[in-house]
Amino acid sequence: MFPKASPSELQGLLVLINEHKGTEDVARLADDLDLEIDEILPSLDYAETLGLVKVVDGRATLSDTGRKMLSVSIRERKTILRDLLKKTTLFKTILRALESAPEGKLTEDDVQRLLAFTTAPSDSYVLNIINWGRYAELFRYDSDEHVLVAVRSRVQGRSPPSSPPSAPGSPGARVSPTADNPVSDASNSPRDLAHPASTVAA
Amino acid sequence: MALIEVRDIKKDYPSHHGTISIINGVSFEVADSDFVAIVGPSGCGKSTLLRIIQGLERASSGEIRFRERLVDTVSNEMAMVFQSFALMPWLSIKENVAFGLTARGWTPEKIASQVDRYISVTGLVGFEEAYPRELSGGMRQRVGLARALAVEPAVLLMDEPFSALDALTAEGLREEVLQLWRDPDLPPEAVILVTHNIEEALLMADRVVVMSHRPSRVLAVVPVTLPRPRDRKSEAFYELTDYLYSLITEGSPPLSAPAKPVASEPPPAGPGDLQ
Repeated sequence: MFPKASPSELQGLLVLINEHKGTEDVARLADDLDLEIDEILPSLDYAETLGLVKVVDGRATLSDTGRKMLSVSIRERKTILRDLLKKTTLFKTILRALESAPEGKLTEDDVQRLLAFTTAPSDSYVLNIINWGRYAELFRYDSDEHVLVAVRSRVQGRSPPSSPPSAPGSPGARVSPTADNPVSDASNSPRDLAHPASTVAA
Repeated sequence: MALIEVRDIKKDYPSHHGTISIINGVSFEVADSDFVAIVGPSGCGKSTLLRIIQGLERASSGEIRFRERLVDTVSNEMAMVFQSFALMPWLSIKENVAFGLTARGWTPEKIASQVDRYISVTGLVGFEEAYPRELSGGMRQRVGLARALAVEPAVLLMDEPFSALDALTAEGLREEVLQLWRDPDLPPEAVILVTHNIEEALLMADRVVVMSHRPSRVLAVVPVTLPRPRDRKSEAFYELTDYLYSLITEGSPPLSAPAKPVASEPPPAGPGDLQ
C-alpha cells in the first residue's frame, strides 16, 4: 500500500534523524516529537522504500541518498525525490499510462482503475498519490477537470540538464535493488502494483 | 548598528475597569543575520509585540527603529508569516504569492518573476494553479512563506508559524526556514519568531527573548550557541530548556543569570509546550 504520509512528513522525518547525527532508535525519534511510533511508521516505511533510510533492529539510519537530500536546497530535494519516485512501480505505471493516454491526460478515475488491480483505492488514497506526483513534478494536475497532465519534457527522459534521470552517481542510481524485483514486467503485475515498495530499481 | 531596535515598548488597552497593561516596557535588539525567538506564556502579548514591530499596530509608548529609522507606519522591510496561513481561498497559489506585490508599484513582469522565483525556492512548483483547499497544512504554510519572501523583506516576522502543523511536517518546515535564512542569496537577513514552544525556540534561534506573564517585560535574553542541527536530547539542550522553563514558570527576573546555568533537575515532561 502507498503510505499515509505526505512529502512534507517524509522530509521532516529525515531532518529529525539528521538531528541525531544520522542514526537513532525509532522509538526515540517518535519520543522526540511526542508521537507514538505508529505515527511515524508510514513516513519511515516509505523513506526506507525509497532508499533514503535503512532500518535495522529498530534503528533508523540515513542512507547516502538521504544525507545528500538534506545537504541540498529545497528545489534540489524535489529533483532527488522525483528521480526516486520514478523508479517505483506505482509511478512508473502512472507515467506509462499518462504517456499513452490521449492528449497525455488521465482522470482521477483512470488512476483509480490502474490501482484497482489489487486494492479498492479510496479517493483520499488516490489523491495522496496524485499529491506526491505533483509535488515531485512528475506530472501536472488540473483540479478543475480532475485530470493528471503529462509533463513531457521532464517525464520522458528529456530532463533538463541539471537532472539526468539516471546518470551514474545520481542519487537515484545508488539505491540498492531489492530482492525479487522483476522490473521488466512490473507495470503489468497486479501484485507488484500494490507494493511500490518492492520496486525501487537500481 | 542594530537592524531593529525595540525600545521600551508599552501597550495598554482601555477597558471598563480602567486601563489594562499588556506590555510593560520591552526592549531588545535584532542584529544583522540574527535569528531571534520570543517566548512567553500565552496572553503575554507576543503577537501584539510582533505587530508593533512591523508597524501594523501602535505602541502606547516606546519606539521601533529599523536601521535607525523610526518605524511609524507599516514597514516594507518586514513581512509576516501567520499561524493560520492567512491565504485567500479564492485565489490560486500563484495569485496568493503575488497578493502583496501589487501594492508595491512593480511592473507585471517584475511581479511575475518574483512570484516564480519564490514559488520555486519554497518548493511549490507544480502547485502554481492550485487553490489553498487542495493543499496540506505544510504546503499552505510554504505559500505563506513564499508570499512573505516575495517582497524580499530584510526581516521575516513569524507568528507561531508551525503551531497548526503536524509534528513531522513542522520539523521539516523549521529546517527549510533555517535554510532560507542562511542562504545569502535569499531574503530574509533576520528572523523574529514568536512561539510558545521553548523547544522550537531553542532548535532555531541564536537568541531567545523570554517574556513574563502580562503585563509583560523581558525576563532574559538567552544566547543559544549550540551548533545546528541541534539535538534536543543533548545535555546542553536539556539545560537550556530547563532554564527557560523555570524562568517563565517562576517569573523570577535573573537578568544577570548565566547563559548556561547549572541543570539540577530533569527537564519538564512534554516538549516544552506552555499551552
